[in-house]
Amino acid sequence: MMQAEYDQVISRIEGLARDRGLAFDPVIFQMTDSDEIAEVASMGLPNRFIHWYWGGTYKELVTQQSKEVFTILELVLNTAPSHAFLRSTNTYLQNVLVIAHVFGHADFFANNHWYRKSNKNMLNATEQHARLIRSYEAQYGQERIEKLLDALLTVATSVNTFERSQPERRKRLIYYLEERAPLEEFERVLLQAIREEAEYFDLIQRTHLINEGWATFIEAELLTRLLTAREWASLSVQLCNRPAPYTIGYTLFKHLRDQEGFARALEVRRFYEDVSLIDVALTEDLVRRLDIFVYDPKEKQKSYDLQKVKDMLITQKLYKGEPRVEVDPASQGRDLLLAHMDEDRKIESKRIGLFLKSVYALWRNPVKLRANGKVYTYDRRGLSST
Amino acid sequence: MKIHRGRIAQYKHDQMLRDYLKQNLNELIQQKELIVDGRVKTQIATLDLPTLKFGEESQFLAQGGGSGAGPGGGAAGAGGDQVQALGGLLGGDHHGKELTVELDFDEFVRLAQEVLLDELRLPAFREPARAGEVESQDTSELDDLERVGLRADLNLEETMTQSLLRNARERGRLDYDVDVQQDAWYFVEDPATFQNHRSVEIYVLDISGSMRGEYLALVRKTIFVLWHYLERRYPTNLRRYVVFQDVAEEKTRDEFFCVESSGGTHVSTGFRKAVELLRGVTEHDKFLFIFTDGETSSGDFDLAKRTYEEALEAFDVVTYGHVNPGGRGIGGFSEHAQEGVKTRANAVFANLVDLETIRAAMRQFLEFCDTRKTAASPR
Repeated sequence: MMQAEYDQVISRIEGLARDRGLAFDPVIFQMTDSDEIAEVASMGLPNRFIHWYWGGTYKELVTQQSKEVFTILELVLNTAPSHAFLRSTNTYLQNVLVIAHVFGHADFFANNHWYRKSNKNMLNATEQHARLIRSYEAQYGQERIEKLLDALLTVATSVNTFERSQPERRKRLIYYLEERAPLEEFERVLLQAIREEAEYFDLIQRTHLINEGWATFIEAELLTRLLTAREWASLSVQLCNRPAPYTIGYTLFKHLRDQEGFARALEVRRFYEDVSLIDVALTEDLVRRLDIFVYDPKEKQKSYDLQKVKDMLITQKLYKGEPRVEVDPASQGRDLLLAHMDEDRKIESKRIGLFLKSVYALWRNPVKLRANGKVYTYDRRGLSST
Repeated sequence: MKIHRGRIAQYKHDQMLRDYLKQNLNELIQQKELIVDGRVKTQIATLDLPTLKFGEESQFLAQGGGSGAGPGGGAAGAGGDQVQALGGLLGGDHHGKELTVELDFDEFVRLAQEVLLDELRLPAFREPARAGEVESQDTSELDDLERVGLRADLNLEETMTQSLLRNARERGRLDYDVDVQQDAWYFVEDPATFQNHRSVEIYVLDISGSMRGEYLALVRKTIFVLWHYLERRYPTNLRRYVVFQDVAEEKTRDEFFCVESSGGTHVSTGFRKAVELLRGVTEHDKFLFIFTDGETSSGDFDLAKRTYEEALEAFDVVTYGHVNPGGRGIGGFSEHAQEGVKTRANAVFANLVDLETIRAAMRQFLEFCDTRKTAASPR
């Protein structure tokens, strides 16, 4: 239940946002406690199916919040209407800041090109998935479904919401399995459900920097108009004390506005995602100002070379910091061959066996992975390498 | 009613964690430093989804210390500068992040007890019969008054009376002007009853060079099983810890479980320190548990015998655990302690070789306690 004390300030901020040229779906604010915020943050969506993996993250978030290592001030969902959570233990000014930030996100969700095709009905979809999983558990046994979910969540990170070309999508493991794995009907339905949820989160990841940057930028735009100089001064300290995506994104948008005007910033938020934003807006001067560098731990050296920093940032965003593993076109019939496309970099070997075991659980035939200068095979006898 | 999905998920996670830890208990329990900052830290490679991750990176993207730290960021030191790795911060996802498994020490002990009781096939504890002096697990009654106590146990009536008296004395007026420092009286438990609920347990551990690895595992397993029974027998247990080699020292619980083995063995110092710690103790039942491989220095043998006798006089029960993972014959001072059981009613000897012998020792200890209790019961 939203506390009445915020009603007025919400309408004022909303009015300011619309005056500034923003457009968004209605936002439903909900007052809640740290615990519920940790719950939603760990699961990604409030009514998602229950899985042990979220439990570990939830536990970690609750512990971190109780030790005040860090706190989650707000949460907002890409749905229509948008749902936003305010923390009851925040101060009034903190929540005012959060409200302004949330309108920035709501505007981004409604206008960014990549979000146009996103599923705004995700709350209903996840509820439906959760019910489906419960009914399958009753029908096929809890253990079987849990093992299946573990394997599906493991391969689900290979989704890519930006990839529309069918041959390119087929190189991604989860789409390949969806099309060709010898799954039973209910297993395929579950795979599709997990893939759909993974795509929802993939989009958020691929636009994390631009989305947070825009929301932080809008928050500053609106609050300088709303607050007194003293109030703004106390809050603006927090602007430079945020996680990297907030500060980097904010700085890029501020730079764009200063150089090319607010209309250009609006245009960038409409058409760009993280990679294109970095490519267009990051300059040598900003790299220095943001103090971002490529670090060599052995030599203990920092490199502020613009191209090097840009390349690394873009690679990180393109592949979400994970090894780029694709389905090799040589895969035929029952043979599934995966290849690590960046062979110079080593994959942690202790994870390979477990990963291939998960893929094998879905493919049910021998799976090969070319990585670390070897070919790993997982079949009914287990893991071997040549 | 709200379904708390976070807590249900955490329960599932913890169940898996428990199963995982149970399989690795033996390895964990041998860790030289079992408790760090009150927690048992493990090297277990987490309950993570087995997504692929890069091995050690030669270079990574980072930010200077000027910018704020956020969730999931790892910091690496670089000379005087702060270097904040940006990897996890840019993804916004939690997949593939390593969570090191850590457990609260009490949680670890409970888990270990669960595994051990199962493996040892020991009986579940039955509540002891209500007889003898050590008999009550009921909440104690606060039937005495004291000037020092808990705020929740403030005796209002007595405190107000005292306030009136003080005001009359000091100001000549009958005012209720309570000054807690001066007027308060609290309900407390009658000390005579209080001590019957408690035991004092002194754990003495030989940390000479040979006591490591499997030796420590045996000692810790025995202690955890002992705790399971003693905690149910006594509502409150006062535990003190001593380690000895050439000299003996009292340690905190956490230090006791992080021993550094070195030096020679002077069993006498262990006994002497334990007896010393009994000074001023009002608890009813006094237990000494000593764990050693018995190889005391030759010059210490006679002194060790004398101090052992002193300990038998001072304690209600002295349990001597001969730590013997190789299953060799019992020699040295342990042989003397084993003989002592024949003549001293309050001496218990346990040859700790493996789980089977811990089981035998526990049975013996429990039977011994029951016999003593029955003997002490009013007829």
